[in-house]
Amino acid sequence: MNVIETVALTKSYGQQRGIDKVSIAVKKGEVFGFIGPNGAGKSTTIRTLLGLLHPTSGSALLFGEDVVKQGHLLRQRIGYLPSEVDYYAEMTSRELLHYHADLFGITGATKKIEDLAQYFELDLDRPIADLSFGNKKKCAIIQAVVHEPELLILDEPTSGLDPLMQNRFFELLEQRNADGTTIFFSSHILSEIQRMCDRAAIIRDGEITAVEDITTLLSKQMKKVRLVLQNGDRPELPEGAKHAEWIGNKVHFDYVGPTQDLLGWLNQQLVLDLTLSEPDLESIFMNYYRR
Amino acid sequence: MNTVLFFKELKRNRKNTLIWSSIVLGFTLMILSIYPSFSHMGEDMVKLMSNLPEEYAKAFGMDEATWSSIIGFYATYYGIYITLLMGIYTASTGATIIGKEERDGTAEFLLTRPISRGSVAGTKLAVLLTLFVIVYAVQTLVAIAGMTVFADTVNWDAFVAMHIHGFFLIAFFTSAGVLMGSVLSVKLNYMGPIVGLIFGTYFLNAIASASDTVGFLAYFSPYHYMPLTLEQGELLVDPWACLGFGIVSAMMLVFSYKRYLKRDIVG
Repeated sequence: MNVIETVALTKSYGQQRGIDKVSIAVKKGEVFGFIGPNGAGKSTTIRTLLGLLHPTSGSALLFGEDVVKQGHLLRQRIGYLPSEVDYYAEMTSRELLHYHADLFGITGATKKIEDLAQYFELDLDRPIADLSFGNKKKCAIIQAVVHEPELLILDEPTSGLDPLMQNRFFELLEQRNADGTTIFFSSHILSEIQRMCDRAAIIRDGEITAVEDITTLLSKQMKKVRLVLQNGDRPELPEGAKHAEWIGNKVHFDYVGPTQDLLGWLNQQLVLDLTLSEPDLESIFMNYYRR
Repeated sequence: MNTVLFFKELKRNRKNTLIWSSIVLGFTLMILSIYPSFSHMGEDMVKLMSNLPEEYAKAFGMDEATWSSIIGFYATYYGIYITLLMGIYTASTGATIIGKEERDGTAEFLLTRPISRGSVAGTKLAVLLTLFVIVYAVQTLVAIAGMTVFADTVNWDAFVAMHIHGFFLIAFFTSAGVLMGSVLSVKLNYMGPIVGLIFGTYFLNAIASASDTVGFLAYFSPYHYMPLTLEQGELLVDPWACLGFGIVSAMMLVFSYKRYLKRDIVG
C-alpha cells in the first residue's frame, strides 16, 4: 500500500511556477528522500500534501484518501516537522506541546512530552520567544513525533541542530521506522538522505527528474575516473565521459555508462596510474542537475 | 467548533479584551456620573446649549431634550464615543483573529493539526462573537446600573432602542473588519482602515445631518440607518433596518468564511 501517492500534482501561483506534474509513490514503512535545491518545489509539494496549499490540478492521496477532501482526518495520522519554526511566542514549549496534544486528543501526553524533552535536552518552561533556533527545532521535533504518527513528513529536519542532537534525532527516526513509521524526508543535505533513505526523488524547477533507489544511485550511476597516461597524447575519451579536465598527461572525468565499456577503453590506453572512485551522492545529484 | 482552539483563543485575547472593556466601562461610568452636575444646572444649561449653532447641535444629535434627561445626555456620548470604541475593538479583533495566525507564521502549526479549515474559521468567529457579546453586555449592564444610580426616571424604551441599534451597528463594523481581514493582505495594520471606516462614516452622517445641501451623504453611512440619538426625547427601534444590517453582516461573514476555506497558506 502506498502511504503517499501523487499523480501529476501541479500547483502554480498565477504565472509563477510552484510544482508541475509531480508524481511520486511512497510505500508503507519506507524512508523516502526528497532532494532538491532551494526553490525547487520541495516545500510546495509538502504544503500541498498537508492541505496548506490547494492543488491547481492532479491529485494527492495519503493512506489512499484525498488530501483536499479528507485532510483534517488524515492529519491525525501525520507528524510534520517544518523547516522554519514559527510558534506562539507567548507560550512556553510545555504549553505549546500540551496545546498540540489537546488538538490531537493524545492520552498520557505529559509523560511522553517529558521523556522526549529529556532525550533532546529541551527546557520545557522557557518561553518560545527566548529559545534559540536549535531549541525551537527540538520543540518542533517533539510535536512531530509525540503522537506517534504513522507518517512523518520532515522538511529540512536537521537545520539548527548540533551534531549530537542530529545523531539522536536520526536514532529516533531509525527506531520509529523500525516500528513501522513511514518517513518522507525532504532535504538538500545529501549525506542525510544517504544515511536515512531507501529511495529518493529528485526535484528540479518544480518537476521530478528522477526517482531512484539510493543503492542504485550510488552503485550504478556515475564513477569518478582519474588517469595518468604514459605519453603526452590525449586520446578520445570513452562514450559516457563528462566534465573532462586535462592537465598535461593527467585527466579526470565523470563516467556514466557500463563499467565493462570503461574497462575496455582503459585496456587500450598506456596507463601509468588509475583511480576509480565511487561518487558521493552530491556528485550524483550535481550530475542530475547538469542533465 | 473546536473547543480546545476556542478556549485557547479566548485566553489569548483576554488581555486585549480587558483593556478595551475597561476603557468602555470607565467611559460609560464617567458620562453617567457627570450627568447630575449637568442636570443641577437646570434651565441655565439648556439655555447655554441652545446658543450652540443649530448645525452643530444637529450634527451631534442634540436638542433641548438632550440636557433635560439622562437618556438624552447618555445618547450623545453613546453615539460619539461608546459605539465607536466598541466598534474599533471588535472590528480590529475581527480583522486579525483569523489572519493573525498567518501573519505570525503560526497558521502552519494550526492548520497541520487534525482540524478542518471550516472548524478553524468557525471557531475563531465564535470567539469573536463571544468577545463582542461580553464587551457589549457588560457595557449595557454598567449603563443600566449607572442610569439607575444617577437618575430618578429613565426612558427605558429609548435606552433599549438605542442599545439594539448599537448592537447591529457594532455587528456591522465587526463583520466589515472580518471581511477586510479576508480580502486584504495579512501583513497590513488594519487599525488605520478600521478607525477610518468607523470615524469616517460617523462624521459623514454628522455632516449630512448638519446641512440639507449635503443631506444625501447620510445614505452612505450606517449611522443614518441606525439612529442612536433621541428626537424630542424619543427613539424607536427600526426593525427593518436591524434585519437589513443583520443580513448584510451575516453575508460578509459567510463570504469571509468561504474565502478562508480556499485560501493558500504560503508561509
